[in-house]
Amino acid sequence: MTPEDQVSIAVPTGVLLDGALALLAKSGLARLSAEELGRQLLIDGGALRVILVRPTDVPAYVDHGAADLGIVGKDILWETPGSHYELIDLRFGGCRLVLAVPDASGFNGPQTWPPMMRVATKYPRTAVTWFEARGQAVEVVRLHGSVELAPQVGLVDGIIDLTATGRTLRDNRLRIIAVLGSSTARLIANQASLKTRTAAVQSAVSRLREASGHAS
Amino acid sequence: MPGFRDLLPLEAEILREAQESLLAEMRRWGYRHVITPLVENMDVLDLGLGIEQRRLPLRLCYAGPVLSTDEGRFQHRRETYQVGAELIGASGPVADAEVIALAARCMEATGIRRYQLDVGHAEFFHGIMDAVRLPDDVKSSVRAALAARDFVTLESLLEDTPLKSAEHELLLRFPALRGGPEILQAAGGLVRNRRSEAALAELARVRELLVAHGIGDVVNLDLGAIRDFDYYTGVIFEGYGPDFGRPVAQGGRYDGLLARFGRPAPATGFMIQLDLVSEMLTRAPRALALPRLDAALAWTGSGLTTALRLGSTLRLFGMRAVVDTQSRSQAEAHAWWRAVAAANLVHCLTESMVSWSAKGRRTRRLPPEQVAARLAGGLK
Repeated sequence: MTPEDQVSIAVPTGVLLDGALALLAKSGLARLSAEELGRQLLIDGGALRVILVRPTDVPAYVDHGAADLGIVGKDILWETPGSHYELIDLRFGGCRLVLAVPDASGFNGPQTWPPMMRVATKYPRTAVTWFEARGQAVEVVRLHGSVELAPQVGLVDGIIDLTATGRTLRDNRLRIIAVLGSSTARLIANQASLKTRTAAVQSAVSRLREASGHAS
Repeated sequence: MPGFRDLLPLEAEILREAQESLLAEMRRWGYRHVITPLVENMDVLDLGLGIEQRRLPLRLCYAGPVLSTDEGRFQHRRETYQVGAELIGASGPVADAEVIALAARCMEATGIRRYQLDVGHAEFFHGIMDAVRLPDDVKSSVRAALAARDFVTLESLLEDTPLKSAEHELLLRFPALRGGPEILQAAGGLVRNRRSEAALAELARVRELLVAHGIGDVVNLDLGAIRDFDYYTGVIFEGYGPDFGRPVAQGGRYDGLLARFGRPAPATGFMIQLDLVSEMLTRAPRALALPRLDAALAWTGSGLTTALRLGSTLRLFGMRAVVDTQSRSQAEAHAWWRAVAAANLVHCLTESMVSWSAKGRRTRRLPPEQVAARLAGGLK
């Protein structure tokens, strides 16, 4: 685990990586290139240890205390709530979680939905909660990639997926009929780290807060 | 079955030893051990308290497994081990400080090298929520966001309300409201409501008492502790060990609970998550070893009765002795001795003669009584 005055932070691979590294650089905590981190996965830079993990694994590292802090999309937190503190909206990596159906589909508002809606998604928990809150029965097909494909081959009625620009959806002849939520990158913290290494962790948190454009 | 597991000898030994140290420490403070059933009818709890109520305050301690019906809690462990102590029928800072000091000494007793206790107050939070100027629906969203430790949502909820107060500022700074006695002054300068002010005064007194208990250096004040505020009514606290992502001890005052069982009484207490303690000890740089067996008692022919008798005698003297289940030759007995890793091998040959071996010493033939006397007396 981390030494007394060192703060460890889990950063995600994928679309948030560049934004996370830019934020770390701007805050003065660490200046790292994606290539460098991608080669080593773990970089000890004195006051800061940076750990590169898959986006969905960030909460696990933080909740179990292997990392004091983590940068993670809100979409991941919807899906894996845990015992961490969600401290700051880092204001990058903006995207929306949407319900999309094929262009040719007759589904629009809730009144047009079938008694049992079939959707494919990487976000089964969020999807079920959202439909339940609207009294809509749903059968969720959990997929791990290329979700856009599922409605085109008749697997499901629609998909629930993240979109930043909507381009992938358009390319696959899908249209958005509902927005479940907006996501940006968040800073999360381990509950014990905030208590046992307060000074070091809080100082890193303040620097990240300022760098992300919040009033200090 | 998912969520349930066996504890193998080393883990079981560490867990049990930690449990015994905890109960011993609690008994030293005058807490009586009770054994609670795993499943209990609520009426029974009520009745039991009725009988004892004449002698309040009551100091009780317990240890045992706790089952969870929820598969997701306890990091997927559904059977966890807890040791706890409750002080029932006493209110006020002296009682609060006693329980916190006991928790500190208990963490020490388990062998955790570094630990700290964060002490807060549920009334500080209740006072803020009373005073903060927000519509009721926003207030309940604020509570939900705090319970989820979601400060991003909290911030946006508070930003959208036109009326700003000092309480807004306090809620936003919640995770940072911790430190030494100076934090009480800082917070005192911000709150403008009776409940929170009274809580701060009580915390100051509890802190003084904890210094008198000799544990001032491991105590932090944490005004931003987020706990089950429907349950806790007063001073609350959490204990942390080194390098562990979760609190090991949790407790506080719950004056409202016993009234729900028909016998209103103030109460405070805590529990220590024994699994986490033993996990911490198992992973310590110098992990504890299983205690060694003192004697391996092998036998051949009529030596069996000697071995059984010798085993009883050694155990009477508090030694750990294991008697073999089958007759063995000398060479076989030595192989078995190495396998069970005992300090001594006593190979019982007849009713009056044994062969005694110990590491680094030559084997000697002696009557069993002499071997028993030498082992029990610690003689070589």
